[in-house]
Amino acid sequence: MARRAGRARLGTMFAEPGTPTPLLRTADLTLTYPSGTTALAGLSVDVPRGSVGLVGANGAGKTTLFRLMMGLMFPTSGWIEVTGKAVATDPIGIRSVLGYMPEHDCLPPDQSAADLVSTFGELAGLPTRAARQRASDVLDLVGLDEARFRPIGGFSTGMKQRTKLAQALVADPELLLLDEPTAGLDPLGREEMLELVERLAGFGISVLFATHLLDDVQRVCDHVVMIDGGRLVLTGSIDQLVQRTGVLRVEVGGRSDSVQALASALEAKGIASRAVDPHTLDVDTSVHGEDSFDIVRDTIADLGLRLYSLSSRHRSLDDLFLQEAAHA
Amino acid sequence: MTMYGTAGTAVGPPAVGGAVYDRGYRPYDGPRGGRAAARRALWRLSVRRVLGIRRSWRQKVLPWTLLGIAMLPAIINVGAEFLARQQDERFIPEFITFRDMTDISTVLLLFVAVAAPDIVCPDRHDRVLPLIFSRQLTGADYVVAKAGALFSVVFGFAFLPQVVLFIGQMFVSSDGALDYYLDHDEIIWQAGISVALFALWYSLIALALASFTDRRIVGAIAFLGVVLVSSAVAGVMVGTADNNKTPLDLISVVEPPRALRDIVFLGHIHWENALSGVAGGGIMAAVVYTAIMALCGSVLLWRYREVQL
Repeated sequence: MARRAGRARLGTMFAEPGTPTPLLRTADLTLTYPSGTTALAGLSVDVPRGSVGLVGANGAGKTTLFRLMMGLMFPTSGWIEVTGKAVATDPIGIRSVLGYMPEHDCLPPDQSAADLVSTFGELAGLPTRAARQRASDVLDLVGLDEARFRPIGGFSTGMKQRTKLAQALVADPELLLLDEPTAGLDPLGREEMLELVERLAGFGISVLFATHLLDDVQRVCDHVVMIDGGRLVLTGSIDQLVQRTGVLRVEVGGRSDSVQALASALEAKGIASRAVDPHTLDVDTSVHGEDSFDIVRDTIADLGLRLYSLSSRHRSLDDLFLQEAAHA
Repeated sequence: MTMYGTAGTAVGPPAVGGAVYDRGYRPYDGPRGGRAAARRALWRLSVRRVLGIRRSWRQKVLPWTLLGIAMLPAIINVGAEFLARQQDERFIPEFITFRDMTDISTVLLLFVAVAAPDIVCPDRHDRVLPLIFSRQLTGADYVVAKAGALFSVVFGFAFLPQVVLFIGQMFVSSDGALDYYLDHDEIIWQAGISVALFALWYSLIALALASFTDRRIVGAIAFLGVVLVSSAVAGVMVGTADNNKTPLDLISVVEPPRALRDIVFLGHIHWENALSGVAGGGIMAAVVYTAIMALCGSVLLWRYREVQL
């Protein structure tokens, strides 16, 4: 319920012209290391607020993009803006609205979770007492209320991931940068972490979720940015992307040659199709777009065929990534 | 059963047998400090770490034991003067002077050797640096906060015995506390400046060495090794010099602040020092001191200029 309310709130923000500043805006962003390796090559992308998946294989440039967003390094050329602020003009100020959860192990084993999280609250500028209170609240939120006074050295991987998430949340950031938050977790731990990330959207916190696990992104994100070799492969709303196949899948019967008859009739109307099996036909909608549904339905009726199903063929993000990366 | 949602409102039927609270997430709308507040927080946290505050008792034993040992000469001195206060002043023994007390060498060196690596090495070893630098802090802020924390603790460590000695002597003085204070008030600034020179010197050198390793024991050994080796080399140089007077004594890590301490307390370098009688010895000590401090500061800034995520 909370998530729906949050999404509705974000939806309202998007609807009002001028209100939503993009979460991330880059223009021709390029970073070449002194060694000559190009980590990002002319990346131009506008990312809306909400839960956004940053997808790419290892070495695709995800962590480099995080470093540039935090102002820990500067691009060779191009421009980057985070939550409406140019990183080049105020790199330190940008960090005041960010929470960062790194992929690697980064927790001192001899400190308790409560101490560590409140420490990072203080480092984010919160007064000592407020930092302790916030630490207690966010540790409750991530499910570490009972373990918070135990040394982190004795924590499981899942508990460590939660502690990292808690320290990123403690200063109530506008944007969370999560670098592979499900890495190394067992299926139950992964499920719990994804549920937590899903809940964050309901709190009005935008999330940039870097991962190479497309299932995780499809599960918790509204939007995806796919990069490969430092270049943008694809970006867009996940709902739209998985539907944007341009293919209708039709199952018909009633005659022994029903698929051939339908294919011929559609071809006469300038619509290409491909038989999948004796009862199934994939129809290309690129010529007539949304009207293709009506044309196919009417053609089936005219031929006197039985229509068993008619639907857009959905693709997975894996299909999309592989296809677009191959094109790139 | 009643459930309470994010805003703390009941989301179920009226309570009958109990209540489940989901406190959810509460945004923070209180005060927030900027970069200076982050720097102060890092300083405070580092001071706490060195002193073992909010850490297990094992982490407290070493710093507080060393501090206790550092206090002993002052306490013994005051105690002896208290017991001998009825005797003629000429026969009251002076165990230690304020000038000597600024340089409680072995204990101070041990403390710095333990504290400096403890303040920086775990951040690198446990890979906490990326988290720290994801806050409103630059590499320079980190260096300033860490060096400031170590300087503060070392200053306190070396100055507290001075305070005990001064206050103790005020109260055992046969002239009365006020007269003792009025007669010796210059000691306060002399001791303050001298201790600050020692604290800054040892803090920056030890931190610069510790910044090259992520292992505390290596950082401690490196610092003590530099002190011992440089002192031994300087000792050989002094031993072979005419009248045991040579500027090469400045090779020893402990000598530059000692020479400056003498100038602060006495206006000249003490005759026991190998620099006394060397033309421009005081200036040489000041130049070496400044150059080494600049070098250590630059090393620290270079070591924390960039952090890998």
